[in-house]
Amino acid sequence: METAALIVVLVIALALFFDFTNGFHDTANAMATPIATGALKPKTAVLLAAVLNLVGAFLSTEVSKTISGGIIREDAILDAGADLFLSLIFAGLIGAITWNMLTWLLGLPSSSSHALFGGLIGATLVGAGMGGIDFGAVLSKIVLPALIAPVTAGIIAFAATKIAYSVTRRYDGKPDGRDGFRWGQIFTSSLVALAHGTNDAQKTMGVITLAMITIGWQSGAHHEPELWVIIACAFTIALGTYLGGWRIIRTLGKGLTDVKPAQGFAAESSTAATILASSALGFALSTTQVASGSVIGSGLGRRGSTVRWRTAGRIGVGWLLTLPAAGGVGALAALLVVWLGNWGVAIDAVLALAIILGLFMRSRRNAVTPANAMSDVAASGRAIELPDTPPPTRRQLRIEQAKAEAKARAEAREKVKAQAKKDAKAKAEKKAQAKAGAKASKSSTGVPAERNGDSE
Amino acid sequence: MNVVIDWLAFLQVFVAALVGAAAIVTFYALGLRLLVRSGHAPVVSPAEFTDAITVITEKELKRAEKQAAKAARKSPLTEGQKKLALVGAYACFALCAAAVVAGILMLVVGH
Repeated sequence: METAALIVVLVIALALFFDFTNGFHDTANAMATPIATGALKPKTAVLLAAVLNLVGAFLSTEVSKTISGGIIREDAILDAGADLFLSLIFAGLIGAITWNMLTWLLGLPSSSSHALFGGLIGATLVGAGMGGIDFGAVLSKIVLPALIAPVTAGIIAFAATKIAYSVTRRYDGKPDGRDGFRWGQIFTSSLVALAHGTNDAQKTMGVITLAMITIGWQSGAHHEPELWVIIACAFTIALGTYLGGWRIIRTLGKGLTDVKPAQGFAAESSTAATILASSALGFALSTTQVASGSVIGSGLGRRGSTVRWRTAGRIGVGWLLTLPAAGGVGALAALLVVWLGNWGVAIDAVLALAIILGLFMRSRRNAVTPANAMSDVAASGRAIELPDTPPPTRRQLRIEQAKAEAKARAEAREKVKAQAKKDAKAKAEKKAQAKAGAKASKSSTGVPAERNGDSE
Repeated sequence: MNVVIDWLAFLQVFVAALVGAAAIVTFYALGLRLLVRSGHAPVVSPAEFTDAITVITEKELKRAEKQAAKAARKSPLTEGQKKLALVGAYACFALCAAAVVAGILMLVVGH
């Protein structure tokens, strides 16, 4: 039992570390857009994100319950022994952290949430066989939401962008007030940070609760996380978010895409709405992917936009790869446990330490490259190409046409007028000439001139 | 193995998120429109002028402010109509905030 207790402590430490990296990694996702449009000062944005993540973590525990009570069949695994199962959770966490670090180093788009699930599922498959996993729950609460949520977020963002632009569009060239979306963004990006807390902090709570139930420190009858678990996870993710802020501050000026306030507002409100609705139903989804889907969808909602398929494809492949790849790493770590028992756990622990140290060293390095300086969400904005001047809407076209017609008519009138003037002038000249001629002839011959000048 | 997938739940999430996002964006945009109508066209300068921001420069900001002031002077509306538009704008912003609060309450209370 003592080794089991030790492993639980290790699992909790590792889970909290994972929570920290999650917040660290995702600050940029929640706050990249408001900073890009100038809605918030970078430092304010980071602080706001940290506080709201903390609040969000307390709001709901549905996602945590999904993880601690739905995916893995504890009954099947408990037959195999609690010790083994704890080691498997540990192996899964190592798989998740390793994959996360690898993608960070390589600059691949990825999702910490999927890495976590992949690692846990891979480790359980190896350690407890197919019977250990509830595939129905995995499909309906993780895999399908993962595939569907970014797309639905994109569709919603597309619609929201269309609404935002069409409601504020003006045809008389007077100020349209779209600048005001910059205020709105402060509020929607706060919502995104809050939603992030309701979904991402829950994942760690779920893992810790799972370990607690396995060792018997918490009854398996209810899957609610203990209060201290909630508090620890909430503060860890908030701390990670706050400390991750320096990354965004560095990011500024490096490759952010052009996001207009109205577009950013629409994208953020759809991200927040999608994540909050999913959290309420206990879907554990990747906030990074949902936010990316929204940014792409809202980009498509702007007139004249086209998709850069290569970039979009790269992002998509990164998303699809995460789950199986982290699963593979988790399975390898689990294999060590299965073969070597406690020695395997020890080797895994040493590996985890090495990875964490590597991560730390990496974060100390100051080189800024597109690979480490850009958030995944900001990067996904590059999948959309926007023209400098969008093509006109149908109504703008009609107005343009009407203007052109009016101009043509005015020109035609001018022409007729000018012609008439010219004619009149020519006639007057003719008359003057004729008069002069008549005078001359009169004076020379004495014959009276005929009535030639009195025409009209 | 019995695999049951709750498709209805996905639809629920989609509809809830769509309605929520659409409500927020519509009310906020409508509020802005009415605010402009009332002669208070918002000109919001970026919190910080960094290189990344291609949205607006200080020069453009000054021009926008001038334009907004001119549009407000030339507004054909009477004072009463302007006041009405302003009240409408604030009502829209309040509705937008109410939509958010309702959403969060639904999450906390449960479904």
